[in-house]
Amino acid sequence: MDAAAPKPGENQGEPLPRIDARLKVTGQAHYPADLPTANIAYGALSTSSIARGRVTKLRLDDARAVPGLLDIVTYGDMDKVEKPKFGNSGATSIGPLHDRTIFHDGQIIALAVAETFEAAEEAAQLIRAEYEEEKPTASFDSPGAKTVDAAGKNPMHKEDVKAGNFDAAYAAAPVRIDARYSTPTQHHNPIELFSTTAFWQGDQLIVHEPTQNVTGWKVELARQLKIDPANVRILSPFIGGAFGSKGPMTPRTAIVAVAAKRLGRPVRCVTSRMQAFGTQTYRAETRHRIRIGAGRDGRITAFAHEGWEVTSRADAYVVAGTSATGRMYDYGSVLTHVSLVEADRNTPGYMRSPPETPYVYALENAMDEMAVTLGMDPVEFRRINEPKVEPIGKKPFSSRSLIQCYDQAADAFGWAKRDPKVGAMRDGDWLVGMGCATAIYPTAAAPCAARVRLTSDGDVRVQCGSHEIGTGVRTVAGQMASERLGVPIDKVNVEMGDSSLPPAPVSGGSISTASVCSAVLKACDAIRTKLSVGATAEGRPLAGSHNEELDFADGKIVAKGGASAKIEDVFKIMQVGAIDEYAEFAPKGATPGALKKLYAGQPEFHGGDHDEDSVKYAFGAEFVEVRINRYTREIRVPRIVGAFAAGRIMNTRTARSQLMGGMIWGIGQALQEATEVDGRYARYVNRDLQDYLVPVNADIRDLQVILVPEVDHAVNPAGVKGLGELGNVGTAAAVASAVYHATGNRIRDLPIRIDQLIA
Amino acid sequence: MLKNPASSATGLSRRSFMTGTVSAAAAAPLLASAAKAEEAAAVHSRLREAVAVSLRINGQPYALSLDTRTSLLDALRDHVGLTGTKKGCDHGQCGACTVLVDGKRVLSCLSFAVMNQGSEVTTVEGLASSDGKLHPMQQAFIDHDAFQCGYCTPGQIMSAIGCINEGHANSEDDIREFMSGNICRCAAYPNIVAAIVQARDQTRGT
Repeated sequence: MDAAAPKPGENQGEPLPRIDARLKVTGQAHYPADLPTANIAYGALSTSSIARGRVTKLRLDDARAVPGLLDIVTYGDMDKVEKPKFGNSGATSIGPLHDRTIFHDGQIIALAVAETFEAAEEAAQLIRAEYEEEKPTASFDSPGAKTVDAAGKNPMHKEDVKAGNFDAAYAAAPVRIDARYSTPTQHHNPIELFSTTAFWQGDQLIVHEPTQNVTGWKVELARQLKIDPANVRILSPFIGGAFGSKGPMTPRTAIVAVAAKRLGRPVRCVTSRMQAFGTQTYRAETRHRIRIGAGRDGRITAFAHEGWEVTSRADAYVVAGTSATGRMYDYGSVLTHVSLVEADRNTPGYMRSPPETPYVYALENAMDEMAVTLGMDPVEFRRINEPKVEPIGKKPFSSRSLIQCYDQAADAFGWAKRDPKVGAMRDGDWLVGMGCATAIYPTAAAPCAARVRLTSDGDVRVQCGSHEIGTGVRTVAGQMASERLGVPIDKVNVEMGDSSLPPAPVSGGSISTASVCSAVLKACDAIRTKLSVGATAEGRPLAGSHNEELDFADGKIVAKGGASAKIEDVFKIMQVGAIDEYAEFAPKGATPGALKKLYAGQPEFHGGDHDEDSVKYAFGAEFVEVRINRYTREIRVPRIVGAFAAGRIMNTRTARSQLMGGMIWGIGQALQEATEVDGRYARYVNRDLQDYLVPVNADIRDLQVILVPEVDHAVNPAGVKGLGELGNVGTAAAVASAVYHATGNRIRDLPIRIDQLIA
Repeated sequence: MLKNPASSATGLSRRSFMTGTVSAAAAAPLLASAAKAEEAAAVHSRLREAVAVSLRINGQPYALSLDTRTSLLDALRDHVGLTGTKKGCDHGQCGACTVLVDGKRVLSCLSFAVMNQGSEVTTVEGLASSDGKLHPMQQAFIDHDAFQCGYCTPGQIMSAIGCINEGHANSEDDIREFMSGNICRCAAYPNIVAAIVQARDQTRGT
């Protein structure tokens, strides 16, 4: 039947179409820059053309002469508000208009505001800056690059994980590899442009901006503007792709809010695609050294992973994927170390599987190299090193279906037909290669609140300050309410993307489905309890039944013996019109202050490798076929199969789509995506969608997603593991493995492009 | 040192190109005569003057007063209030702004509104019937989950209709090729192809 709607297996929910699908195909889904706003003024940014130094003078006369120009916000105009903060909800500590220091290329130097978009753009481009310019440090190996230990520099990376005596085990290992890998700078490039629309109604500030974190931004923006968070409302009903880029707030938001205040009317600033490269965040380039020692039987005895990551001079952004790679297999001994390299760059930020994409790429490429060195099938090599407990803390996995994923994906892919000899498979002028790799992503959840209302007519309203970034969270939250309350999905309305709703954590780290559904589940169960009490009291239709034995289905409460009562009748008997429940969910291990912190925009993440009882991860296995033209070395990926196990699947349709999108991201990371940095000027060069390559329709052919059934009650009440970031982990290594199989060229530096295959 | 922050070596946008062209035109005659310079300056200032633009959008006439530099995309979004058409790059590189002009797919960010005088523009808001019945392409996009965030979707749908009209949807390979001007960063591509095949088969011969 329809590939988009896989038949649910055990512990998997129905492939309901997205509840907001009609809005999206009719143009009625309002993204923040679409929200109707009267009497709007337009803002355009002017940005620096140097990466390091000081602005000594700004010439604004030409800009001010543009007809329709209303205001220019620049140095001095932000002095009365606080500088941004780095971490949690803030992308960077750089306050571009607080200080004439230039920290990176493309830094905001002014905001021009005008009656029309055209006049604002014209004025912004006429702003002239004079600089005291210094030679910038662009990246790794640039003069002036400063390397520091990452551990302790950022709360995200407290220490480098290790286990046993790596040095001794590695020295003693009969088979060893020692290889270096690298991944490039990448920008998220969601198709929706970044924008801020701000307006004031008295003391109330309303901001329309695409964000993955309405609550965190409300609090952080209020702090910067020195106003009560209760007076800030952030609206983001639909988000046009995020991938991490809309998690932390950038300095533009407060600047636009100040402009709106000065002008006394709404101001909208839509950042150009080009300016977004420097004013938003990005995935920084990384380098890796991996050493693996193993016995001739294929058992790994020693594993070392060293990583280097670029960050800005202002902020210690770190991803440190070694905490995941160090726990992936039964290594025996583990040594890891992460370093930060400070350069004159904007501060990096989360991008889809921030630690795993680069670090697991390096690990899985190394695993493939080791399998080749051992003369072993790469699937078999992973099977041999499958751990019973993770090697760092010796904790069990809450569930780990990696081998089932490998088996099912290998079967669907036809791995058995692969001739392991390098270059042995050909089809005409095409060299055929097949490779595979593991996907892994930590399963976390955070505190979350939700309000659910059921009326006597059977209408359900779910309210939760989470964010529909395309994951389908609005649909699965509605599905959870529909299932628990026994009402059809078309009777469920779900409100999200508004900081005045019950707070939800940032939609990052693949925590939303688990956190939101757990809160919605709790609110629904409170409604069920009230109705159950109403239905089972003496003299009531289901008197004598036990609450926990009741089922809610098809608008009825059904008792164990088959007796039932219509929910609307129970409402009548109880003499109520609606039941409204507000629920707060806190994951296992949450601190006593965890819920208070949720309201303050600082959600605690629990799960992954942080819990005492077990480590919690979702797993997958990906197999790809590449075809490389024997003359031109053109690389195509005609086929990709991924099998994933992620606990309860709320909706097989939205789950498959997310995993599919992730796998295609992985293909892009393997073969296309890279932001080129000009080493002389520390400047991004390919700042548009023509030159920053991402997969297009013609790049993708056969793609298969297998949802491997898995039950895991330990992760959270909903039993859900996140999968939004799982699909693109490992893909690039699978492609590298296939390229090696086709050509004998081991490519260690991403992206893999034709020039690397013409050696 | 004096630099124009907005026009670095790689940073020439369509708008800076326009103003740049006009400035260059204004600079050259300065050498010749002051009168010509004045004339050029007048041209520059006329460029910012509002002009009357008549457009037919989704069957309705609109009389607009627009800056000549206003793109068709900005006219639709900011002046008519039809925000279904999306801005993703403003450079003709992503396809999110695709609309039909006289039945052919056009990147509305690369077309000035004033260039479309008298043309029939169809946007995503103009596809469903007045009774709310969706266009087969819209329904196919829902059936095949051919989007995630939904932002590129209006452009994909308009482009897909244009693609079939052009006769470029005969095979899945054709569809993939002729839909490659519409980037979907969520990467719903296999589902988009399946949706177009369904809608093509439903609308063929009608």
